[in-house]
Amino acid sequence: MRFSMLPAVFAQMFKKPWTNKFPAKYAPANTTQFLADVDEGIAEIIPPVPTPNGFRGKIKYDKVKCNGCQLCIKVCPCEAIEFKKKEKKIKIYIARCCFCSQCNDICPVNCLTMSDEFLLADTDPYSKDLIVE
Amino acid sequence: MTKDKKLTPEELVKSFKNEFKSNIKDAIIKKRAAGSKKNETPSIWMKVDKSVFKDVVKHLCEIQFPHLSIASGNDLGRNIELIYHFTVNYGSRMKEINFNISVDLPKSKPEIDTICDLIPGALITEREKMEMLGVKIIGIPDDKRCFLSDDIPKGVYPWRRDETGADKLYKNLHGGKK
Amino acid sequence: MNQEATTKTSYQIPIGPIHPALKEPVHFEFEISGERIVDVSVKLGHVHRGIEWASRKRNPIQILYLAERICGICSYCHPAAFALAVETAADIQIPERAEYLRVIQGELERITSHILWAGVAAHEIGFDTVLYLTWQIRERALDLTEYLTGNRVTKGIMTIGGIRRDITKDMLPRVKKDLQYFKDNFEKLCHIFLDDKTVGMRSQGAGILTKKDALKLCAVGPTARASGVKKDVRVDTSYFAYGDLNLKYITPDDLTGNVNGDVYDRIIQRLLEIDQSIDLIEQCIDKMPSGDIVAEPDIQKLLNQLKKVKGEGVGRHEAPRGEVIHYVKFDGKSDSPYTWKVRAPTYNNILPWIPMLIGEQIADIPIVAASTDPCMSCTNRVAIVSDGRKYELTKEQLHKLSVEKTRRLMK
Ligand code: SF4
Ligand code: SF4
Repeated sequence: MRFSMLPAVFAQMFKKPWTNKFPAKYAPANTTQFLADVDEGIAEIIPPVPTPNGFRGKIKYDKVKCNGCQLCIKVCPCEAIEFKKKEKKIKIYIARCCFCSQCNDICPVNCLTMSDEFLLADTDPYSKDLIVE
Repeated sequence: MTKDKKLTPEELVKSFKNEFKSNIKDAIIKKRAAGSKKNETPSIWMKVDKSVFKDVVKHLCEIQFPHLSIASGNDLGRNIELIYHFTVNYGSRMKEINFNISVDLPKSKPEIDTICDLIPGALITEREKMEMLGVKIIGIPDDKRCFLSDDIPKGVYPWRRDETGADKLYKNLHGGKK
Repeated sequence: MNQEATTKTSYQIPIGPIHPALKEPVHFEFEISGERIVDVSVKLGHVHRGIEWASRKRNPIQILYLAERICGICSYCHPAAFALAVETAADIQIPERAEYLRVIQGELERITSHILWAGVAAHEIGFDTVLYLTWQIRERALDLTEYLTGNRVTKGIMTIGGIRRDITKDMLPRVKKDLQYFKDNFEKLCHIFLDDKTVGMRSQGAGILTKKDALKLCAVGPTARASGVKKDVRVDTSYFAYGDLNLKYITPDDLTGNVNGDVYDRIIQRLLEIDQSIDLIEQCIDKMPSGDIVAEPDIQKLLNQLKKVKGEGVGRHEAPRGEVIHYVKFDGKSDSPYTWKVRAPTYNNILPWIPMLIGEQIADIPIVAASTDPCMSCTNRVAIVSDGRKYELTKEQLHKLSVEKTRRLMK
């Protein structure tokens, strides 16, 4: 058949687009303004596609449990973890982290876990949101 | 071009030993099983003398035209070791043999004959060995640099581990010597 | 010297280092006469990142993630080949279940990659509706990957001595549902690529690689198989669980009855391989034994064990684009391997470009170059230099040339 794509194209006319329109139906002209509007309740965010179970997002760190064994530093491929000598605790720079979750696997007391948070873009790699300690 | 003769690893090693006698310094056959049925994949590690290397490859081509995966190299201090990873017997289910031929070159005079005339596909990997390990490939059809950019000084060979290595160029990188 | 010898009859076109149809920088120099290409030379290495050097400071577990970042699309193949090489050097036996799980991940990656390629190929000849269709299917494949591994692209699933995540019973329905979806859409894709005139016109007889050239130039993967060379690491050797499974070589003559080695054959080849991959995943799900998924769960112990290893190993895996091979040598003295050599499939598929491109037209460069599914990065402009004057051809214009050729042929 010469135009084998035509049926699919016509069918598509009556279907919803596949793309999830996150964060808004049309890209806001001013993102900061848009976020401010969302805070005030004027605009609404279309939520992102939910992540599945076992998704590897931003690390969560349970500081109390950590015993300072430094094993996580040994396996971290990105050198994202720093050891705080005085406190014997660690500090994770998420901007360097590659979300491999290898540190979670090796931690003997299971004080590291991966959350499902993935909206981590930031202009400053050392911003508060991107450092876990 | 390929003859349909499928040799077993043992026959293959024997054929080389008969042909080249003491110039074959070492030949080990290793087998590794995988899966539930434990089917094995053989690999041959053979060390040959530099003087017969080209003839060894020629002999291999006569037995069967091999597939050259890649040549890798080690800097062993006094010597540079090149390992040519061939495979033979491809084309029939689980008959393939990994055939690794290694050859030591003295660092003072790292020279080896090209095999591009036998296996044209060796060109890129030979050019890589030239620039990365500083091995001189005699008779290579094209000796331009292939991977390194032109602003890297001559006489720097990134894979070497001595003073001709590229360590001094790394100073601006994370983890490099400051 | 007569008149003819002094008149220049051919021109040089440098293409790249930023280059159309490719996803990474590479530099070509084409010698053209009229519209025909008479000679090609290639320069690589514009994105040489010194990954092998970076490995000198890392232990094998860290290198897994370094290997994963060699390529975004083959982010499973490189760690897989590296793990195989390390396991061979250290003689680690892998639990049977892990071997099957490894096959499933590898085949899922092949489906994703081949479908992506089908879209890119359609785009290169100006058939963009197919691009959207294929990428919709690919989205499902990526979602499944995310479900099974935890991330869409950098899967982080491979580990030395096994695999990091199991596929449990409650995950199977989702996997089966998605496989069914791939199967249904596979029929559709086949129909479009095989029956639509547009695709055939541009790809039949273009970019021919003969079997002899493929053998001589050591081509690998679908590029070699589309020329009729029976070479596939999965079938040739026994690694992972491939030795237990029922699989055979696929060449385009399975469908069309003869091998031409042109772009069209490479399209058929990849489509048939998608079908094969779906079948392999199903076989694995049926046959998978229960048991452990990793040989040594304690990573600390594993690292200590690897530190003492003295020896070398080679790992070969059939990536979507062909054979990837890693060589690892340990000297038993340090944490990190003494040597680590990576060879990606495109490395071997570069030389075959030369016979493929010679004799083709400029408008065919994108589709012919794309037909080997090269793993390099996308680009902006081509400069045509002739007689010292410089014309610039942007990627859009080159793409337009290609689209116009399709239009011309359709008339
Ligand atoms: S997830 Fe990986 S990269 Fe991130 S901190 Fe842990 S080990 Fe390092
Ligand atoms: S491995 Fe766990 S316990 Fe040890 S330092 Fe890291 S976070 Fe703390």
